[in-house]
Amino acid sequence: MSLGAAQIGHGSFGGLKAASLSLIRGDRTLFADLSFDLASGELLRLLGPNGSGKSSLLRALLGLTPLARGHLLAGPSGRPLAPREVCAQALYQGHAHGAKGELTAIENLALAAELDGSLASHDVGRTLDAALDEVGLARQRYIETRRLSQGQKQRLNLARFAIGLRVADRPLWLMDEPSAALDTNGLAVLEALLGRHLARGGAAIIATHLPIAPSEGMARELHLDTFAPRRVREVLAELAP
Amino acid sequence: MTEFGAIAWAVRRDLKVAMRRRGDILNVLGFFVLACSMFPLAIGPQREWLQRIGPGVIWVAALLSVMLALPRLFEHDHADGTLDAMVASGRPLWALIAGKLIAAWLVTAVPLLALSPALALAFNLPASSLPVLVGSLLLGTPVLIGIGAITGALALGLKSGPVLMTLLCLPLYVPVLVFGAGAVEAQAAGLSPLAHLALLGAGMLAILTLAPPVAALALRISVE
Repeated sequence: MSLGAAQIGHGSFGGLKAASLSLIRGDRTLFADLSFDLASGELLRLLGPNGSGKSSLLRALLGLTPLARGHLLAGPSGRPLAPREVCAQALYQGHAHGAKGELTAIENLALAAELDGSLASHDVGRTLDAALDEVGLARQRYIETRRLSQGQKQRLNLARFAIGLRVADRPLWLMDEPSAALDTNGLAVLEALLGRHLARGGAAIIATHLPIAPSEGMARELHLDTFAPRRVREVLAELAP
Repeated sequence: MTEFGAIAWAVRRDLKVAMRRRGDILNVLGFFVLACSMFPLAIGPQREWLQRIGPGVIWVAALLSVMLALPRLFEHDHADGTLDAMVASGRPLWALIAGKLIAAWLVTAVPLLALSPALALAFNLPASSLPVLVGSLLLGTPVLIGIGAITGALALGLKSGPVLMTLLCLPLYVPVLVFGAGAVEAQAAGLSPLAHLALLGAGMLAILTLAPPVAALALRISVE
């Protein structure tokens, strides 16, 4: 893409600051008083046992799940961020695959990329083909998505992020278990995509169990279980001599 | 992507999916025809009776057929994660929903509209009342789909969602049914159907403006 070089500077992420977030599902507090910073070029890995709120945190950042307390601020300025503003600059991949099983791989990719606004009106076909090629789905492009394996569906999601790399306006990647069902080759594709994304000034938050190491950029870890509320009994046991 | 772009995107997407699931369209049409043909079997084939109940039966059958298709409006998207993707895209949700409703109307209601004159003739309705019947369905079906979208969005993800949605919808459908069937009957009685049609049209305009934003609000609550 001839515009690629010119766009790199604009793809840079402005920064995000989460200040004492708390999330309650039903009558259970998943985490409390959770704060983190995320700057351009950084990857934040969310770790924690099942049910510790990794998916919920990603959803809460986008306003899909309401936060009980806390707020999100924009990078250096400290301006409060509305969930809709986060949505507008984020590429989100949720727990479900987010593809229509009746449509072919290339149709799903085209629709998703259009919704993201990452598909330029010229060269659509070649962009889609290149992205599918990059994630190793070139031969499956006309196969209905419901016939794809779990790993292939995950690769289709990666193709959406590969197209997202070409435009500047969604520099924050939020991925929920992007490594699930991926083979080693798929994992390498994911790490390469993340590396390119971070290198051009993007940022990513991913919920994962695997030690994903992008080829470039800085990776940090956030252990959600350290923000789980402690039971009164545990506190008392600690205080007791 | 502008609001208009978001509407066009959703229409295109849902039409594409519907074309891959043509069986669903045929199911609704089959239900419509079968529901209509049950009444002559139960009541008897007297011409005057059939003519008398015809408009009401066709309207009730059309209403139930639309309702049969409505739970699918958001449920599939909710299950496969595309609904989350739409909400998280930051695009105006009301516009995406408006597009979905337009597609749902094209796929569900237009075939019913096309088939209704044939059923009307089977009920021995005079040819002069056919335009009124089709016209009343044309104005009434968007209202049915709009109300269904709001209740469907509210009941989304609940275990008894489809049943709950039916219970919420049916009382709200009563005015549409009364004025829709009333228009055809007024015409048959030699009166002007315009008053009924005008009320239906007013209802349609109201629901066209209300349904997308209200359904968007309900969806945001349902996806939590």
